[in-house]
Amino acid sequence: MTPPAGSLLSAEQLRKAYGPTLALDGAEFSIHPGEVVAVMGPSGSGKSTLLHCLAGIVPPDSGTITYNGRELSAMNDSQRSALRRSDFGFVFQFGQLVPELTCVENVALPLRLNGTSRKEAERAALTWMERLEVDDLRKKRPGEVSGGQGQRVAVARSLVTDPRVLFADEPTGALDSLNGERVMELLTDAARSTNAAVVLVTHEARVAAYSDREVVVRDGKSRDMERVV
Amino acid sequence: MSVRQWARDLAMGVRFAFTGGREGWTRAVLTAVGVGLGVALLLLTTAIPNALAVRHDREAARTDITFSSEQLPKADDTLVVADVGSDFRDDSVRGRALDPEGPRAPLPPGVEKFPAVGEMVVSPALKKLLESDSGALLRERLPDRIVGTIGESGLIGSAELAFYRGADDLASHIDGGSIARIDRFGDPDPSSERSDPVLLLLILVVFVVLLTPVAVFIAAAVRFGGERRDRRLAALRLVGSDGGMTRRIAAGEAMAGAVLGLVFGAVFFMIGRRLAGTAEVFRISVFPSYLNPSPLLALLVGVAVPAAAVLVTLFALRGVVIEPLGVVRAGRPARRRLWWRLLLPLAGLAMLYPMIGNGRDNGDFNQYLVTGGVVLLLVGVTALLPWIVETVVARLGSGGVAWQLAVRRLQMSSGTAARMVNGIAVAVAGAIALQMLFVGVDDDYTRSTGQDLAQAQMEVVLPSDLLVATAADKLRDTEGVKAVYGYSEGYLGDRPKDPEHGTTVTVGDCASLRAMARIDSCTDGDLFAVHGAEWDGDEDMTKLAAPGRKFYVDPSYEGGPKSKEIPWAVPQGVKAAKPRKGLLAGTDRGGFLFTPKAMPDALAPALTGHAFLKLDESVADVHDRVRTAAAGIDPLADTVTWAETERTGRFDAIRTGLFVGAACVLALIGVSLLVSQLEQLRERKKLLSALVAFGTRRRTLSLSVLWQTAIPIALGLLLATVVGLTLGTVLLKMTNTPVGVDWAGVLTMTGIGAGVVLAVTLFSLPPLLRLMRPEGLRTE
Repeated sequence: MTPPAGSLLSAEQLRKAYGPTLALDGAEFSIHPGEVVAVMGPSGSGKSTLLHCLAGIVPPDSGTITYNGRELSAMNDSQRSALRRSDFGFVFQFGQLVPELTCVENVALPLRLNGTSRKEAERAALTWMERLEVDDLRKKRPGEVSGGQGQRVAVARSLVTDPRVLFADEPTGALDSLNGERVMELLTDAARSTNAAVVLVTHEARVAAYSDREVVVRDGKSRDMERVV
Repeated sequence: MSVRQWARDLAMGVRFAFTGGREGWTRAVLTAVGVGLGVALLLLTTAIPNALAVRHDREAARTDITFSSEQLPKADDTLVVADVGSDFRDDSVRGRALDPEGPRAPLPPGVEKFPAVGEMVVSPALKKLLESDSGALLRERLPDRIVGTIGESGLIGSAELAFYRGADDLASHIDGGSIARIDRFGDPDPSSERSDPVLLLLILVVFVVLLTPVAVFIAAAVRFGGERRDRRLAALRLVGSDGGMTRRIAAGEAMAGAVLGLVFGAVFFMIGRRLAGTAEVFRISVFPSYLNPSPLLALLVGVAVPAAAVLVTLFALRGVVIEPLGVVRAGRPARRRLWWRLLLPLAGLAMLYPMIGNGRDNGDFNQYLVTGGVVLLLVGVTALLPWIVETVVARLGSGGVAWQLAVRRLQMSSGTAARMVNGIAVAVAGAIALQMLFVGVDDDYTRSTGQDLAQAQMEVVLPSDLLVATAADKLRDTEGVKAVYGYSEGYLGDRPKDPEHGTTVTVGDCASLRAMARIDSCTDGDLFAVHGAEWDGDEDMTKLAAPGRKFYVDPSYEGGPKSKEIPWAVPQGVKAAKPRKGLLAGTDRGGFLFTPKAMPDALAPALTGHAFLKLDESVADVHDRVRTAAAGIDPLADTVTWAETERTGRFDAIRTGLFVGAACVLALIGVSLLVSQLEQLRERKKLLSALVAFGTRRRTLSLSVLWQTAIPIALGLLLATVVGLTLGTVLLKMTNTPVGVDWAGVLTMTGIGAGVVLAVTLFSLPPLLRLMRPEGLRTE
């Protein structure tokens, strides 16, 4: 099968099981550059597994994932790690900031992992922190900032490498609605400004409203809502 | 606050420890295993004095040859016993030949019936060895039929090699030395040896040095999994418990782990006790029944460990603010203060100071001051280390990502890191101090034997009625023997009884005599008098060698048995010889030197034969081949393997005890480090997975873990070296010994400490790599 025309990242017939539990059962997905796609579904439906497979974090048991014309499942672990460092960005539900690093060091971390010098990485990190309105937190540690602030720092970290695809797994799950909305605004604005595609896993309709398109995952199978509508 | 409320909170903590599902159980079991290992080691250590006492008692109970000058007459309750012990490879084999002289002759402990001639009873370990292929060479030496085994009461350890063999006609060989007549077994004068204050000091310090790290380890073990517990405590605050209650509940949880640890400890101890019966460490073996800790010490351990768990937890949580919505630690915790941390080692030094210059001759050291001083100095390491780690890591600059992750982690929780290495640092500090003390006083307990290993490597002492030449020929035929110098030796005096003047008599062929003195020409039949020797008796040799002067070979002495008293007169034609550093114990030796033909036959029974052997030490088991050959010549022949120095047995035993104990303590601390490391990694599973998700190399994370351990351990070992050298210096000054630093020893000890950490890091890498798998991000 060929991926949909113009898609940056696509997946076909993905299957993934954890022991006896079938997490994905023939799921399909595609996303274009600059597009924001919300992956929705109830808890345990396989949304996060789909995201992890698309990002090359876990390999699927079968099926194909194509990124920018390259077969992801044909890559080995270190190639996938390199791809994640250079082309992908991540935001998780609880930020997963490194607690012992300051906020600016956290944001600079992906650049430093790519070999950028500390000074340069922190300069770029500060630019993104300003855009996400958290530059005043640069010297604080994650434990000293609020959940909303921490999540914005995490968004800044995910965007600092100018990724082509941003994966966000329940990015507002731990925030109140006001903070959640602010984070989503900043995240989608920043992604659109860099033409990054956003794969947004959520089970909240108000978060999904920030997307261009919705894909629903249920029992490991995906369904493109746009086509149904 | 009421005792009841305390009890209620603690009880609630105990309940939480066991009702938290799998995670709760895991934590409780981890704590219990850690505490249990420590408790087992404590019990084992407290049982050591008892084990040594039992060994000593058993040794005393089987004492037979006491070199007593008193001679018992033959009776129906006497036994003639000969020391026919030997060595096999590096193990000594205790052996006795028994010749009962009547029906009421005393049986040795552990032996039910006297073996007949050609029979022997052996220890279980010797039986096993003789039945094995590796014991074939020894079997050749001990060909007697095994008719029984020696019971536990006759042995000092489970791995001891010992035998009793039947013999006859031993009475004619009684010499007041290795062959004696006895009417009972047992030490007739058991308390004659006065304890050496320096040896007592060594024993005391060894105990403190071994036990302090165990206590430090137990304190660390009760805090396993602390971070996760803190989150649980936050939930308790949410439902209404105040800060104090929460801390007491946490203390209750730790206490539960400690109590379970006591149970584990008792089980580990019982297993260890059983294993101890089958193991031999540094040539010391015991029977399980020896390892009974004193009930008072066991009770103390039983009370102190749970109490310590409660106190340590309350102390550890004093700086932690537990809020209902999560544990909030001050972003930058209050800086640690140095002053009170310095007080501990200073107080330790102050306690030891009054004993400086005490030495060996001013009575015993005050054991309370010694124990208190050493404990305070060593515990000072645990107080100072967190401050040092915090101060140093706060100043560490930037580096690569791995370095940055490690340094930042240390800056955030330097206490955890310091706690992890505390035990090692204390053990190394103590070991360095002891090493210094041992090396310092080593000379006092080591004496030169004067044996020149370039000339010979073994000596065979033959019974008096044996011809040396015949024996020498047989020894010469043994594989690995390059040369044999044979001598017969005796003493002559100017009177048959209680002589006033006297000197030595040596008989040997020309080649052998030349190895002993400088002789111009020599033919068989010559007789020489050595002039100007360092040791040639108590009268000028010129007078002694005057022709016609009368002597008695083997004179008798008052109080001793009647000797042979064989008369001999100096003949004409005695040649002069000059002394040289010869074979005999390094000193140049004087007296009369006889070639075989010059020696009157009548003198032969009064002489003891010696054969000195030059060996080809590349031949396998050459020493045992010689021992077997010597036993073939005469079962009463004694063999001595030469060494340049010899040490007192007790000094060696204490030193051995230190190494055994230090090995156990370091292994224990290594296990604790590993458990603690794994616990920390488990806590960070999600974060590690997230870091890997956005592309962090595994190598970077592994390196960061290594730095995280290496930085505090480097600081810990540095502090341990400083404290160890200080303590070593003070101890040496206390014993009035010149202070010298054995840098090789210091490096070895710190190297071993660093090796333990490296091993722990290596062992923690596989789980780290597993935890870094992106699957860790899954929550369902």
